[in-house]
Amino acid sequence: MKETLLLTKHMRENPEDSHLIDIYEKNNGYNAARKVLKENNPGEVIEEIKDSNIRGRGGAGFPTGVKWGFLAEDQERYLVINGDESEPGTFKDRILLERDPHQLIEGIIVTSFASNISKAFIYIRGEYAKPARRVQDAIEQAYEKGYLGKNIFDSGKNLDVVVHLGAGAYICGEETALLNSLEGRRGEPRLKPPYFPAVKGLYNKPTLVNNVETISSVPWIINNSGKDYAKLGVEGSTGTRIFSLSGHVNNPGNFEIEMGSSFGEFIDTFGKGIKENKSVKAYIPGGASAPWFKGSQLDIKMTIDDVADAKSMLGSGAVVVMDQDTNLVLAAKSIVSFFAHESCGQCTPCREGTTWLEMILDRIASGRGRTSDIDLLLDVCDNISPGLSWPPKMTTICPLGPSAVSPITSLMGSFRDEVESLLPKKVLINNE
Amino acid sequence: MSENIKFTVDGKELEGQSGELLIEACEKSGIHIPRFCWHKRLEPVGMCRMCLVEVETPRGKALVPSCTTEITEDLVVDTESEIVTKAQEGILEFLLINHPLDCPVCDKAGECPLQDQTMAYGPGESRFVEEKRHFEKPIPISEVILLDRERCILCARCTRFSDEISGDPLIEFIQRGNKTEVNTFPNEPFRSYFSGNTVQICPVGALTSTSYRFKARPWDLKKVSSTCNCCSVGCSIELNTSQNKMLRILGEDNEFTNQGWLSDKGRYNFDFLHSENRVLNILNKSEDSFNEISIAEATVKIKDKINELDNPNIKFLIGSHSTNEEYFVINEVANYLNKDKFLSRDSSNVYFSDDLLFNGYFDDEYSKAKLEDLDSSETIVVWCEDIKDNLPILYLRIKKAVKNGAKLIVFGHTNTAIAGLADFYFGKGIVSNKFDLIVNPSEIEDLKNNTQGKKVTVIAGKSTVFQKKESLDKLINYLNESSELKVFNSFSKGNTFGALQNIDEVKGLNEFCNEFDNDAKNIVFTVGVNPVNSSHFAQPIKEILISSDFVVSMDLFINETTELADLILPTTSLGEKEGTITNMEMRVMKQNKILPAPGSTLSEWEYLTAILNILGGDVQYRNENEINSFLVKEYKDQQQVATFDNLNKPSNLFGVINRKEININTKDLHEDTFSLLMVRRLYGDSSTQINSPSISMLGAERFIELNSETAKKFGIKSQFGNLVQGSNSILINIDINEFLPDGLVVAPINRRGFENVDPSKEFEITEAKNREELSVN
Repeated sequence: MKETLLLTKHMRENPEDSHLIDIYEKNNGYNAARKVLKENNPGEVIEEIKDSNIRGRGGAGFPTGVKWGFLAEDQERYLVINGDESEPGTFKDRILLERDPHQLIEGIIVTSFASNISKAFIYIRGEYAKPARRVQDAIEQAYEKGYLGKNIFDSGKNLDVVVHLGAGAYICGEETALLNSLEGRRGEPRLKPPYFPAVKGLYNKPTLVNNVETISSVPWIINNSGKDYAKLGVEGSTGTRIFSLSGHVNNPGNFEIEMGSSFGEFIDTFGKGIKENKSVKAYIPGGASAPWFKGSQLDIKMTIDDVADAKSMLGSGAVVVMDQDTNLVLAAKSIVSFFAHESCGQCTPCREGTTWLEMILDRIASGRGRTSDIDLLLDVCDNISPGLSWPPKMTTICPLGPSAVSPITSLMGSFRDEVESLLPKKVLINNE
Repeated sequence: MSENIKFTVDGKELEGQSGELLIEACEKSGIHIPRFCWHKRLEPVGMCRMCLVEVETPRGKALVPSCTTEITEDLVVDTESEIVTKAQEGILEFLLINHPLDCPVCDKAGECPLQDQTMAYGPGESRFVEEKRHFEKPIPISEVILLDRERCILCARCTRFSDEISGDPLIEFIQRGNKTEVNTFPNEPFRSYFSGNTVQICPVGALTSTSYRFKARPWDLKKVSSTCNCCSVGCSIELNTSQNKMLRILGEDNEFTNQGWLSDKGRYNFDFLHSENRVLNILNKSEDSFNEISIAEATVKIKDKINELDNPNIKFLIGSHSTNEEYFVINEVANYLNKDKFLSRDSSNVYFSDDLLFNGYFDDEYSKAKLEDLDSSETIVVWCEDIKDNLPILYLRIKKAVKNGAKLIVFGHTNTAIAGLADFYFGKGIVSNKFDLIVNPSEIEDLKNNTQGKKVTVIAGKSTVFQKKESLDKLINYLNESSELKVFNSFSKGNTFGALQNIDEVKGLNEFCNEFDNDAKNIVFTVGVNPVNSSHFAQPIKEILISSDFVVSMDLFINETTELADLILPTTSLGEKEGTITNMEMRVMKQNKILPAPGSTLSEWEYLTAILNILGGDVQYRNENEINSFLVKEYKDQQQVATFDNLNKPSNLFGVINRKEININTKDLHEDTFSLLMVRRLYGDSSTQINSPSISMLGAERFIELNSETAKKFGIKSQFGNLVQGSNSILINIDINEFLPDGLVVAPINRRGFENVDPSKEFEITEAKNREELSVN
């Protein structure tokens, strides 16, 4: 098994200076944008993206070409790049922003052309200071060259790009909360309906919100072709994907591969096995909000659909490995604490429920649990995500609340013994 | 256009309008869905999740909040399924885990949506064993409101009200998640004219009023609907009393007028009813002090005086706090004393105490506006005294209309609060500092473009006592000719329109001063007015009252005016009398009685009929209802007259619009030299307000407004200074207001400290050097 480098090729080949515009241009940079603006019409570009079958890399996996086609007609439309990468275990957008900002900018130029947009925003999580600086510098270089601003590439088209930093809220990765934050409001998800970004987005205008990795893929698709892209990977999960591997592996990091191989193969090949030669007790296939898989499920294929069929999600492509000695109650508590801390506070179940779950897990983990706590945990979870099904039903506006439920249902579904071992033994009274 | 659509709820087929929210459509059909954050006057936010219901979607059944879901044709809804019931129970359990459950000491207990819905939909007991969330409780967030963050369930009703409705978002959510709390900004209290509404719409006891705190339990309250008389909007209110004390006033949702909201003045201006300063017995002046006498003695004294003075001039100086029935009797008595019995004077002897009274636009050529016309107007034009301060709920109605797309045009210079909402503000260059229209209205391009041929509502009135009617005429007549115009006469004081409707001819204070004949014998009746305190004519009126031979004052308190009287007849006020009042759209509404008249007080009509009786007049009525049956005869529309019976019908609960002939006869002031613009503010030093402890301090701040250019001319840099006029020096806050033209300085007329300021004399503003100087003064 080998990496297939499309998005990370340039940064791998130029580890020191891949972020500079001259180096980027030396390596075929901005040719896609130049070509599209000269030779194509927007419809052709959208067709190319549709041909590639690329699906959004932010987590939901929505077909990108279809999304572009949904954008409502309006004089003013916006493109917003979601770079608020905050999902625990996910760090792929960081390298794309920090080490290949021009690839993203070129993607933005093509996307804006395809959707007739002249104002784009890049929303970067507040903690990504260096990536944001690199992107800002890159934008300034692109302005100097005339690739951004007025009459770009002498095409008569205008495009302005603005970088905006978040203020430390995971929820702003949710696209409508991101738009609120961008407008200077509290970072709280909006109601859908009516606030579907493609219709009523930023400043109530039709807005395309795409992930950094998705848009960074656009130049390659244009330079080659949508059909070439679709040949990579497997049906339904075409192209390459940057997976962030972390946890108890010997070699954590970002690896760009074609989708379709198994998680076990991926962890062995790139993670170089588990630390101290231990075995895998459980792993998270797609970020902290994804339900866990057991160590016995390592043969599941790394495609959006295969993972969904196995009742989890490929999400943002963050694979977190937990070895045989991991205290899974603490692991679950750690994730639930994260979501409790990041809840925006709008919806009652998420605001109150996630904190309550954290409290219950805390007392179980510290040996103060009660026998009734398992039922209580599951019932509180049920009140946030009725039926505890996958994909989750929700009593909330956005999926953050149900995300806190995932680790608990995983824990109770596959590792119930481990939880019970921390609780006082049930005293069985035989009435007969 | 919305169309009728059919949808199904719990197996029953219902009908609704397209675009309607599910929660509202269900409510209309008698299906109640529990809710906390949803309020029909606020934008839905779907936050509390209490109103979740199951709807069928192409992807199976889904839980959706009914407050954000619009009904669609063939929508199938389940409001009672197992999953819905479980979700509702879950939400209530979540809301209660951090709620202090201090219901035994909570004002809201007994009328608390959280309590009620927990009873109806909640789990029996809590499974939460951890420590609850703690906040300091309660914290004052303004002079009138306290905030208990532990009780708060974060429904955002208060924050949405402040943002969407009143437009002064001084309270907001801070922090996030489990730490979210409502609070004010540092050093910025929740000082809004409308803040009390947040207490009323709070679904728990998180926001409480200082005036009502710990006073009563809701189940002990006696309640009656009535109408507020603080300004001429005529908001529908509910009076709450216990043990014969007024404890609280709530806004009622009258679609035509206040739509549920009240200004804080309307809400909190009632403690004076039980003030120890209130006059409870008839006071007769002998030498320099007052002694108590009976009603029999008082009427005899009045009769004797009239006879003794031999054909005196008898004048009535009336205010805006009487009912229509009382004005009717005032008119009867005034006519009887003026022409029928003693004299044969043609001219009216009734003077209305409002500096800004003018002849108005009552002729048939002007079509009269209703408040609902604001919602259908394409453009709203405002030129009158400050609407936010004097007609606060009209301000909210205009704000709502503007939010829904109406254009707003404001003429200077007094409406600077509403100017913030305006599409076009015509201040300097168009309106002179003397309030003349310098430019021909047809030459104002933006005015023309937004009014010509359009539906326009204008709120027209004098901005200041110095404004000439002809300057206003230029604008109103232009609009009347060029657009589909509807006119509001902006008389803002209480029941002004009731006075105008029920008194044959009304004159102004200008006439009261000019027509006074010092050589003749004079008797003056003042009825619920205190012009000596805060009128442009304070000084001449004071002199008139002093030199009059006999002054009879009907009032609640001894104040600057009544202390000059020979006889004080203590009267009744809100909740102590029954009658009708007429608002600015000529809507006649009911005021109801819930309290006994305290002490030996009587209503004005009772004194007046007693006087009429002893003077030999023919009194044909024994109570308010009988007076009403006389006065309704003059209403133009006899199909739907505002009798007490009619107004008690469910369809007329919020009043009926009915007009009468209106006859105002007042002239502009001759002088037009003034250096200081004195305007009326919402809060001031009226005797009712200073005797209502919860709001008395709100009228204490002394301030002036000017623009930065004018400030520079006076050499002012700081926020504090002194207003100096001769030997009179007042310590003031200085507010910079860029809507004002150069050279104009605005000061409140109804604030303590300003009573000796003469707007027609020169003044200076000096800077207070530092804070120490402030405290020394």
